[in-house]
Amino acid sequence: MISADLLKEARLRAGLTQAELGRRVERSQSQVARWERGDVKPSLETLRELIRACGLELWFRMANYDDSYVPDIVDNLSVTPAERIERAVTFVNALRPWGAAREAAHGI
Amino acid sequence: MASEPAFDPRPILRALQDHDVDFIVVGVMAAVAQGSPVYSRDLDVTPSGAPDNYDRLAEALRSLAARLRQPDGNGLDFPIEATFLAGNTTWTLLTRAGVLDLVFMPAGTRGFDDLRRNALELDLGTGTPVLVASLIDVIRMKEAAGRPKDEATLPALRQTLEVIREREAGGS
Repeated sequence: MISADLLKEARLRAGLTQAELGRRVERSQSQVARWERGDVKPSLETLRELIRACGLELWFRMANYDDSYVPDIVDNLSVTPAERIERAVTFVNALRPWGAAREAAHGI
Repeated sequence: MASEPAFDPRPILRALQDHDVDFIVVGVMAAVAQGSPVYSRDLDVTPSGAPDNYDRLAEALRSLAARLRQPDGNGLDFPIEATFLAGNTTWTLLTRAGVLDLVFMPAGTRGFDDLRRNALELDLGTGTPVLVASLIDVIRMKEAAGRPKDEATLPALRQTLEVIREREAGGS
């Protein structure tokens, strides 16, 4: 779904409808919808063309694969949204003394 | 030195709900609500820019004793009125429950109506669901904002989206 997400993100950032983007790249609205749903995956070249048609550029960069967030994500998904907020609030407020110390050190 | 109150988004959300403000939770707290392991000590919301919404928003902000947050972290009184609020698209406020950022036109979006299309309704602890920007829209905003602090959160947000998608595909 990566190409689908990137395409939708680019189109929405450009404020285009699927039909408008389709016209820019001479494809139908339904073809754009299939790409955005992930029913059909565009080639990398086509994806870059589509994103350029939205006035944006797709940059490529390789980095080491890192899935270190996954355990925390899985843990967060095991509780309700309200509990996730509670956890976050507890966490940031526990850090307040350090924030105050840093501000004092910098004369803020 | 500034003495900021302990942060708790729930009283802020409750005040907005009690005054019938049309708004969407955006930013890091929207991502937190959807499972992202990221943290922030402010609440970002995108209110509707409808004229009557500014009146309700002003009432809610008065109930929260909102002040302008200055760079040193201190608050500054300002006229909490609809016409004044309508004069700017971004406000950073200090309330009795911590920092509230009002962002009428988040980067990469066209504001409330744009974000409402994909928004989720989630109870964030107030007992009543609120509109929360979808994770893909939070990513869109962070990408468009492009500040280092926004870019720093993107790997966690993208990985959250990936885990959710995998679960959906697996039917769990």
